[in-house]
Parts: sequence; C-alpha cells; structure tokens
Amino acid sequence: MTVTPTSERSRGPASSLMVGNAVGSSSGGPGSGDVQGSPDGWGSGGAGWEGSPPASRQRWWNFEQMLPRGLTVAVWIPLVAIVLLVVVLVVKAVPAIRFNGLHFFTSDAWDTGASYGSVVTTGGVRHFVGASYGVLPLVVGTLVSSAIAIALAVPIGIATALVIVEKLPMRVSSGVGFCLEVLAGVPSAVYGIWGVLTFGPWLAHHIDGPIARNMPDVPVLRWFRGAGPHDVVGQGQDLLTGGLILTIMILPIIAATTRDLLRQVPRATVEGATALGMTDAEAVNTVTLRWVRSGVIGASMLGLGRALGETIMVAMVGGALLGSSPHSIFGAFNTIAAVIVTQLEGALSDPTGLEVGTLAEIALVLLVISLAANVIARWLVQRGAGTALPVGRGI
Amino acid sequence: MSTRQLTLSSDTTRRRKSRLLGPAGVLSVLAAGAITLTACSSSSSSSTTPTTAAVKLSSLENWPTIPVSVTESGSTLLQPLFTSWANAIHTSWPTVTVQPGGGGSGQGFTNVASGISNIGGSDPYLSAAQLAQYPALQNIPLAISAQQVNYNVPNITPAGTHLKLNGKVLSAMYQGTITNWNDSQIAALNPGVHIPSLAIAPIHRGETSGDTFLFTSFLAAADPSGWGTKYPPNTTESWPNVPGSAAATGNGGMVTTCAATPGCVAYIGVSYLGQATTAGLAYAELQNKSGNYELPSATAISAEAAGFANSTPSSGAISMIYGPATDGYPIVNYEYAIVGKQPDAAHAQAVKAVLAWAIDPKGGNASKYLGQVNFVPLPTQVEQISLKLIAKIAS
Repeated sequence: MTVTPTSERSRGPASSLMVGNAVGSSSGGPGSGDVQGSPDGWGSGGAGWEGSPPASRQRWWNFEQMLPRGLTVAVWIPLVAIVLLVVVLVVKAVPAIRFNGLHFFTSDAWDTGASYGSVVTTGGVRHFVGASYGVLPLVVGTLVSSAIAIALAVPIGIATALVIVEKLPMRVSSGVGFCLEVLAGVPSAVYGIWGVLTFGPWLAHHIDGPIARNMPDVPVLRWFRGAGPHDVVGQGQDLLTGGLILTIMILPIIAATTRDLLRQVPRATVEGATALGMTDAEAVNTVTLRWVRSGVIGASMLGLGRALGETIMVAMVGGALLGSSPHSIFGAFNTIAAVIVTQLEGALSDPTGLEVGTLAEIALVLLVISLAANVIARWLVQRGAGTALPVGRGI
Repeated sequence: MSTRQLTLSSDTTRRRKSRLLGPAGVLSVLAAGAITLTACSSSSSSSTTPTTAAVKLSSLENWPTIPVSVTESGSTLLQPLFTSWANAIHTSWPTVTVQPGGGGSGQGFTNVASGISNIGGSDPYLSAAQLAQYPALQNIPLAISAQQVNYNVPNITPAGTHLKLNGKVLSAMYQGTITNWNDSQIAALNPGVHIPSLAIAPIHRGETSGDTFLFTSFLAAADPSGWGTKYPPNTTESWPNVPGSAAATGNGGMVTTCAATPGCVAYIGVSYLGQATTAGLAYAELQNKSGNYELPSATAISAEAAGFANSTPSSGAISMIYGPATDGYPIVNYEYAIVGKQPDAAHAQAVKAVLAWAIDPKGGNASKYLGQVNFVPLPTQVEQISLKLIAKIAS
C-alpha cells in the first residue's frame, strides 16, 4: 500500500506479460550484439562470404542497417493507418455532418427519404425529401449490449481463471484452458446463427417470460419488463440475447488473460498469506487479485473493445431495429457496427450519397466511443496500479 | 483487335445485323482475325427464335465466338434463375460464361454503376435520381416475380385454409395495432374459419431489400391514409417498434425465422414458395384493388402483369403494386437487369445475346426455367420494350 520504488514497477506481472514479451523478443533476437561479428547469412548466396564482410555490410540489404529501417516503417504503419482511416471517414462524412447537425445525436430517426422522389438540396447537401438520421438508438444499443457483456463476463472470467489456476488439477485445467482458447477462436457468425436459431428462441420461450411478467414496474427494474400491457417479450432477438452472446464471446479473452496473469503471482506470497492464517478466500482477495488487478482491467477493456465493435452477431440476433430505441432488455436493438454492415449495400445505391456519408459519420462516432473506452481503461489501470500491492503494476 | 471492336461498337444494330447476315461480312470479319460473329448459325441451330419477333431476337442473340465472361451480381431473388440460365447458356454456347453472384439489388446497381459487373440483377427499378447520376444505366425487365405473404399459425380450421388478408390488416399488424390472430378484423375477412388465439409476430428484413420495397409499396397503396402517410415505400424501412417483431436476413432467413416463430407473419419472394411450404408456412390470399382475394398463382400473377402491359413505359420502370386487374395478385414486379456501358464490343455483344435469350419465350423465359422459381414470362408488349432496351446496349 505504500509508494513504490520506481525500480520495482517494471516487475509487475502485467508488464511482464504484455510489455516484457515484446521487449524480450526484440532484444533477444538477431538484432542483438552477437550478430555483429558473424558473417551475414541472409541470402548473400555465397558472394562476399569469404572475402569481405565489410563489403557485404555496405549493401542496401545489410541486416544491421535494415533492421532499424524496418522497425521505423513498422512503427509508422499503425500511425499512418489510423490517420488515413480517420481522414477518409471524415471526408466521406462531411456532407452528412453538415446535413444531420447536432440533432443527429438526439434523434431516433433512420429515414432515407423518398428514394423514388426528387432530390433536393439543403445547405449545399443533396438529399431525398424526408431524409432524416439519428444515432442515439445505435449508441444506446452499442453501449447497453456491451455493458451487459462486461458486467457478466468480468466476474465470470475472473472466477473461471481462479478455478483453473487455484483449484483444478493440472490435467483438467489444461483441458478447460484449451476450451477457452477454442471458444476465443469461434467466428462471430457461428455465434450469430446459434443465437438466432437456438439460444434466442429458447430464452424467449423459457426464461424471458417469467422475468418480464414478475418484475416490479419501478424505475430501473422496468427495463426488465416486457412491452405493453401484456409484457410481450418477442422472439429472442433482443438486447438480452445479444448481451449474453457477447458475454460468451468476450469471456475467453478475459478468462485466458487472467489465467496467465494468475500463474505469475509468486506462490511464496500467496503461501505467506496462508501462513498468516488467511483462508483461501482471504488470500485470493487480498493478495492474488490485487496482484493482477491492473492486468485484468486491461483484459476487460480488450473484451469491451470487441463487444463495442461486434458486427455480424448483432446484425443476426439484434432484431435490426431502425428508427427507435429499445424499450427494454427484451426489445430489439441495433448497434453502430451492425447498422454499417446491414445498410451499406442499400446506401451505396443512394445517388445523393447522404446515406453513405451518414454511415461514415456513425463510424466516426464508434471510433470516438472506442477511443473513450481506451482512455478510461488507461485511467483505470493507472488508478488500479496506484492502490494495488507494490508489485501489482503494469501496462 | 481493339480497333475492330471499336468500329463494330460504333455501328448501329441495323448495320451490324446486315453485316452479320451477309456471308461476305462474316467472312471479312473472320479474315480480319477480329471477333467473329456467327449469330445466324447459332440462333438457327438452337431454333430458339420465335417467328413473330424473329428479326429482333435473331439480331440480338448473336453469340460471340471468342470466349467472353459476363459477370452478374445483385438480387438474391433473381440469382437462382440466373444460375440456371448461366448453365443453359454455357451448355449451348460454350464461348459465353455467365458468372452469377448475389449481394442484393443495391449491390447489383452499385457494381454496374462502377463497372464491376456487366449485369446487375435488381428487384426495384432505377429511380429518377439514380438515372440522373448515371444516365447510361437502363433497367431491362427480364421476368415477372411476385411476393407471398406467409404466416405460421397452427390449428387453423378447416385445415388447408389460406387466410384472407388485406393491406389494411397487414398494415395494422406491422404497426402493432392488431396483436392477435383471433382479432375481429382478421376474423371478419375469414368467415367460417376458426383462427386460434396467438400473438402476432411481424417479421421484416433486417438489411436493405427489394422485397421490403415491394411490401411497403403494397402497404402504402392499400392503406394510403395509415401506412402511406407514415412510412414511405423504401428498401430500408424504419419499421414500427412492435413488441414481438423480429428481423431476418435474406428470403431464406425469413423462411427460417418465420418457421421458428409461431404467430409470425412475413413477406417472402415467390421463388421461395417451395421452401416456405416445406418449412410449414402457409401463404395468404391477398385482397387486390378490385376487392377480390387471390393466391400468388401463375394465373393471378400473369393477370396482374397483363394489366400493366400497356402502361409500362419504354424505360421499363414501373411499379406493379395493387394494380387494376380484377383477378390479379396485388404484389407483382418486374425483375430487372441493370445494364450500363460495356467495357468492349465483345462484352456488349455477349450481354445483348444473354439478355435477349433470357427474355425469349423459347429461351430463358420458357416455363422450364421460370417455373422453378414461380416467375411468369413477360407479356409480349413488355418483351418488345425489353428488346428495344437491349438493342441500346453498347460499349
């Protein structure tokens, strides 16, 4: 709980996992000092092998010179990519931003207008009569479905990791760990088809009804009631189904990362806690979880990033709601990413280009949401590191 | 070679025909080593040319003798038909390969507008705004399709009854003002039929869809004061947020979702009639403008199309929803080929031949092809309109 010496910061488990590996691989790789003295073996094809190592060093593909150049290029690629991405989106979105205005953020509408009518121009932007767009329901759908997923996946993921590391025998835990990794690799379309054909209808027919009918009609809990006087819950294409499948999709990210972090908690410290008379639960709570806290926050944010951007699964099980907000967790919804993928085909045939521009605009909104999630994550990690055990720093 | 093609492409159809019909012309082209047009031999050997329109069809069904690959993309409703056409064409004229692709009507338009595809399949016709932006594009009627209204309501007695529905009732179902199948307004349309109590689940397409355009056109035409004032016909609809409603992707998804949802009502392309029936869905008798109830039978679809045969403009663009025919089915439409400027003369020639054969009553419009997807052939007047449009295709 005390202020930590700087020298110990880098030894935290999270940093050794996420930063240490990258540093280790580059510093231990062929770029390090021992290559210096040896003749270059990278495709010189025999020429210059016997005679003159200095000559081969002066060639353009000389490894020692190429490595820093290559690394420089590698460093610039992500930066250039993000700049180009944002620039292209902004250029495409400008007409839509001008047409939609600030009303865009408070409006429920998604109306392309009378596409067989005439094209009119408002403020220099060509559009169909009646065209009106709003991003509010999509932001709500994106945030609420991701919030459901994070709220469920973080505790379940930590619990799974704890059980795997602390309780299960090695043979079983490696099997469970393998399942987690398989689960992480399942394509989202597979989750989508399972959700729309099996899981959603099953929820709707067996689970949703009793909850929706018995939930008291008070603020907050009202969100768990069905729609209308008869508490209709629909066909399972709703926020609950989407949120639960998102939970399953991000669970492996959180559980597998937490498992790897937990494995790096020194046994001696945990055993020391036990030796002091702590129960297993107390040791986990006061030592193990504190040790990995910032790393788990980082893993949760990776999961949140996936949930925010999930596209195909939501497009399949979300009920494709356009033009209004979900009325409860048993109501259809839509997310920014899903709208981009389902509406792009039609938007491309809009000769005014306004719908494509609007899709670019909501893509920018999604980028901003992801950025905000990242900033909050960094802040949480730093805050978490400040109050953790001295060794629990990272990222 | 390219010079020769340019020369050919600048010719008018009439001049080309005369050159082709003259053996000397054919020989001269052959001798020049340019693309060889042996139209007369191929069309006569396949004997697909009807006597009445013989001149026109033979002038257009000129199959190239050098290998040409024609790409098609767009409407998923048209895709199965195009696939069987492509196989038949390649069998009879091995030089021509038609590559059908799906992607939706909007994709078809976009691909043709940007020159990616030679032919775009489309359920909706081109809008004035689209034509203003791409004046070279044409929509050529290929065949007549229709849309069924399906429902999944078990235990209707007498068994095998097709429920009678009209646009006003369907509009109320999709707006959530009629919520149960035993509603008095539905019963009033179906005297003597017992319909059990079951919540209505309106299913709509989640993505941009030509079927959505057809169905919302019907609702707007049949319920002008209700649906018509609130929801203009569109390929992307801001559907009323009805509890219990659901979205599905593609006609196949509509069949699957409706089959999994007791109480559903859905709109599905008539080419999926077989799949829908196999999946246990029934289809409704729809009330037409004259007040008669019709099933989507070939007779009723043809009757409706015949009612529009003389009013179809030379551009081919017309909505055939809720038409005047007393015994016609109220939701029918032309399936269109969207065609623009072709990359070279060989492609122009091949596209002309493919489309001319496709609308030939003894070629692609024969019942052996259309019957598979429950389409009906074009009326003779419309066939002439299409031929004139096909003749305009150039490179």
